[in-house]
Amino acid sequence: MLTAFVNINSSAQVRVTFDVVSAETGSEEGAPVSAGPNPIAPEIKELAWGAGSFIVFLFFMRLFLVPKVRKGMASRYESIQADHEYASATRDGAKQDVARYESAITEIRSEASRRLEIARQTLDKERQEKVVQVNAQIAQRRAVAETEVAAARAAAQSQIVTAVGAVTTRATQIAVGVSPDAAIVSRSVQQAMEGTRS
Amino acid sequence: MIINSILSFEFPPINELLRWKDVVPGLNKVGLIAVASALIGTLVFLSAARKDPKVAPKGTRNLAEVSVEFIENNIIMQTMGRDGLGWTPFLLTLFLFVYLCNMPGIIPFIQMPATARMAIPMFLAVLVWVVFNVQGIKHQGFFGYFKSVLFPPGVPKALYILVTPIEFISTLIVRPFSLAVRLFANMLAGHLLLVIFALLSEAMFQARDKILIPIGVLPFFMLVFLTGFEVLVAFLQAYIFTILAAVYISGAVHPEH
Amino acid sequence: MEALSKIVKAAADAAAGDEKNIAAAGSAGFAYGLAAIGPGIGIGIIFGSAIEAMARQPEAAGMVRTTMFLGIAFTEALALIGFVVFILLKYA
Repeated sequence: MLTAFVNINSSAQVRVTFDVVSAETGSEEGAPVSAGPNPIAPEIKELAWGAGSFIVFLFFMRLFLVPKVRKGMASRYESIQADHEYASATRDGAKQDVARYESAITEIRSEASRRLEIARQTLDKERQEKVVQVNAQIAQRRAVAETEVAAARAAAQSQIVTAVGAVTTRATQIAVGVSPDAAIVSRSVQQAMEGTRS
Repeated sequence: MIINSILSFEFPPINELLRWKDVVPGLNKVGLIAVASALIGTLVFLSAARKDPKVAPKGTRNLAEVSVEFIENNIIMQTMGRDGLGWTPFLLTLFLFVYLCNMPGIIPFIQMPATARMAIPMFLAVLVWVVFNVQGIKHQGFFGYFKSVLFPPGVPKALYILVTPIEFISTLIVRPFSLAVRLFANMLAGHLLLVIFALLSEAMFQARDKILIPIGVLPFFMLVFLTGFEVLVAFLQAYIFTILAAVYISGAVHPEH
Repeated sequence: MEALSKIVKAAADAAAGDEKNIAAAGSAGFAYGLAAIGPGIGIGIIFGSAIEAMARQPEAAGMVRTTMFLGIAFTEALALIGFVVFILLKYA
């Protein structure tokens, strides 16, 4: 392969060394060739092999390799695309179902709340009516009771006045010996009672 | 002493690095690499084409599909647009062939890029030149094509005396020349760099002065670093060659408006 | 200094008696050295502008990268022609 050339100064010695190298490595290894004028000039055999292999390669690629690989890629992309579309269609269907379900739920909910509202209103009205009724009854009873109380109080007052009058008359009789006028007694008793009450 | 050992290091004549003896008559190492490149590319794609395209790609199929997509997305879509997708086989073959011919420059024990000889770059450049000229003539007609090449629109008429010779030289002469020389000189320069550092480290490691032996590590590291760099260059040169071919073809098919 | 003069002497000895070789070797070095200046600056400018463009518009990075490689390819060709001239002068 690559060989370092050490301790060579003249061109004659270079050639000698090279011959030794080429003799050692032999041609089957592809050892370098020293002859040749210009390192840049293309060699005909390299040109021919390079061109030939490239053209054969291009021929195969152009004719069936690339189209086949490309077709496989396209078909896989299409199947992936189809799967994708199917998945998105399924997802859309599911979304529609969900939307339908949700709209039904909201409908039912609004219906339920409407009924609840109606029931509540009915209940409220009935309660209002009952309350009014009960209040009226209470007022009636209270009025009755008040009149009764007033009557009882008046009766009790007259009884007290009579009793006090009798006691006063009697006490006066005992003290003075003269029975006082009943009208005066009753008036003074009345005044005294009102005085204590006030 | 040390000076004497340094001076005793001599670079071999360049032809010994580049010109190879025939393995069999008429076929030398460079030709062998070219044949092997075409064979490897064909076999990879043959193996890829035989696999079931429906399952997820792996192995050679994956390799083939990645290269096809690379050509389509990074080269054709960037330069030629959607119309250029029919050029995929040609550009893919060009790319793979150049790349596979570059790669032996860094593979141990082969270490000879086939493109470091002028033959293959020259052939490919001439091929691209023929292809883009033929495409231009086919799409615009003989006179239309040369009119759009030599008399670019949008230039004042008086300037044509200056522009036309420049356009003629740059399109019809410099393009194939620079295409070939760019690939060839890049690979040759890389190859020579590797050779220089390999020979230097070998001479250092085998020096009679023991003090030079540890210093030989430095050119050896440089050799390793440059080998890594050449990996990049081998890819980049194949990419640039292909993309320039795409640009030239696209420019011939769709002239500037 | 002594070492340097030894190297120069050895180089002169190696090419002694061959004026054409000395001239060719010298002009080969000049050819590549000069040819590398312009493309070096040019590739630097291309890369810098491409990085700036990618930083400004990361979504256009693919297009910018392709164009950048094209620009580098055109610029680099000059340096490579210098390299070929170097090989021609040195070895042809």
